[in-house]
Amino acid sequence: MGAIDDLVAELARLPGIGHKTAQRLTFHLLQQPRERAERLAATLGAVATRVHPCPECGTFTEDARCTVCDDPRRDATLLCVVEEASAVPVVERATGFRGRYLVLGGRLSPLEGVGPEQLRMALLRRRVASGEVREVILATNPSLEGEATATYIHQLLDGTGVKVTRLARGLPVGGDLEYIDGVTLSHALDARQEVP
Amino acid sequence: MRAERIVARGFRNLRDLDLELPPSGAVFLGPNGHGKTNLLELLYYPVLYRSLRGARDVDVTCHGEAGFELALTLRAERTPRELAAGFRCAGKRKRLTQDGVEPERLSDAIGHWLAVAFLPTDLHLVQGPASERRQYLDRVLSLADRAYLRALSAYRRALAQRNSALRQRRPDLAGAWNPMLARFGAELVRRRMGWIADHAESFTATCVALGELAEVTLRYRGDGALADEAAWPEAFARAANRDEALGATGTGPHRDDVDIRLGGRPLREVGSTGQHRTAAVALRLCERETLAAASGTEPALLLDDVFAELDAGRQERLAAALQQGAAHQTFITAPREDELPVDFHLETLQVENGRVGDARHPQAV
Ligand SMILES: [Zn+2]
Repeated sequence: MGAIDDLVAELARLPGIGHKTAQRLTFHLLQQPRERAERLAATLGAVATRVHPCPECGTFTEDARCTVCDDPRRDATLLCVVEEASAVPVVERATGFRGRYLVLGGRLSPLEGVGPEQLRMALLRRRVASGEVREVILATNPSLEGEATATYIHQLLDGTGVKVTRLARGLPVGGDLEYIDGVTLSHALDARQEVP
Repeated sequence: MRAERIVARGFRNLRDLDLELPPSGAVFLGPNGHGKTNLLELLYYPVLYRSLRGARDVDVTCHGEAGFELALTLRAERTPRELAAGFRCAGKRKRLTQDGVEPERLSDAIGHWLAVAFLPTDLHLVQGPASERRQYLDRVLSLADRAYLRALSAYRRALAQRNSALRQRRPDLAGAWNPMLARFGAELVRRRMGWIADHAESFTATCVALGELAEVTLRYRGDGALADEAAWPEAFARAANRDEALGATGTGPHRDDVDIRLGGRPLREVGSTGQHRTAAVALRLCERETLAAASGTEPALLLDDVFAELDAGRQERLAAALQQGAAHQTFITAPREDELPVDFHLETLQVENGRVGDARHPQAV
């Protein structure tokens, strides 16, 4: 395979990009001035070497800790659990949430070989065991897998004395947190309920 | 509900078909193996967007073709008017459009074109395993009610996840799916039991109308308590050891059945083949009644060689039952015209080698 085929194949592995789109993007890049492609390559390289998950919450950062974990004014008693790091800026922008986060890095799906070991469940337990956290807010997506992940965490934290709440129903089932409008999300966070 | 035109390419042996559909329907005549049943399968495809014979899309594709395409045009006043489907064997990709627009989910795609198919294999509804009757209920209820279809897909997905966890010997992980199974499973049990309660009487009466002398009854067989979501945690707890040992979930509507009895005894054990066929036809007539009530319009009827194995009395009663009801479109296959018990007053179309023409010019397409 030549360099063009390699790039098409790499792009086609990205979510939401099929072979045709990958081809279009490749030829678009080739038609641009050479510096554009070099800048893109350098940016990708920088992201790959400098960015890593925050050791305390799993969100992406270039520093030792992310800005939320590093901010002493954030309420350490409230812990919001999300599936993906991409949900953090969504909650930050849409709501007045002042607590901290834990990014699981996915959701449970035995069919796809994703069990608790593939997610940051151990980190979650450590954060809860530290004694700082009083309430865990389960903000996993309102999909089947997101609901099951919330149920699993609820069982996991049973007996720790920590209050466990779930974003209020009213979120569309089958939805994805990132595509829900801010008003709905903000309202769902305010109206979160204790998991029965 | 009426269709005006069907176009197909590469669907079974229908290589290149463009057929105007008469408003009342048609009789497809022709030797076996020339494509009569394929035409009915094609007409049924936009009902559930899969083969009515349960065939995979790759097997529906004409041998040697890269895929198939079809488009059904409904009568002008309906929206959407054109239902189309395309399948590519490479990558097994299926694309549906309604008036050119791709529906967001399958549940949005179905319900626009309704048909009830009467097939020789319907005998399995009575004689076959419980899965045949569950599939029947799931099909009828999904077509009548999108909420049922959504609950069914969610239930199946949750069940597959739970069973996968059990096979991996992770009962803690399996339990995470219990609330979802309870929520959607209870809905399925509730709706299935409700449907049986609503249609049992009509089923019995239909069997009588078709000439059955002894009483044929319909009952739901399953744990009725599971219609209540609150009953599920205890049911899961009771079955926990067995589920873990089997690596599969033994509780829930995916194990239920429909009990068909003749004079109080299981029909499949005591009845004759004629009685089995009568009950199977009665189930199809219940399906028709349900879809008509849910949609406010008569579904099309697709009859594949249904008279062949019935005695003369049953043939005439069935023909009478099929002709009842508001105006609807009927498509019938038969090897020869004289094998139909009555005149259905339908246009006759000759089917030969995957081509359809009128009786006088069989090769005209
Ligand atoms: Zn952090």
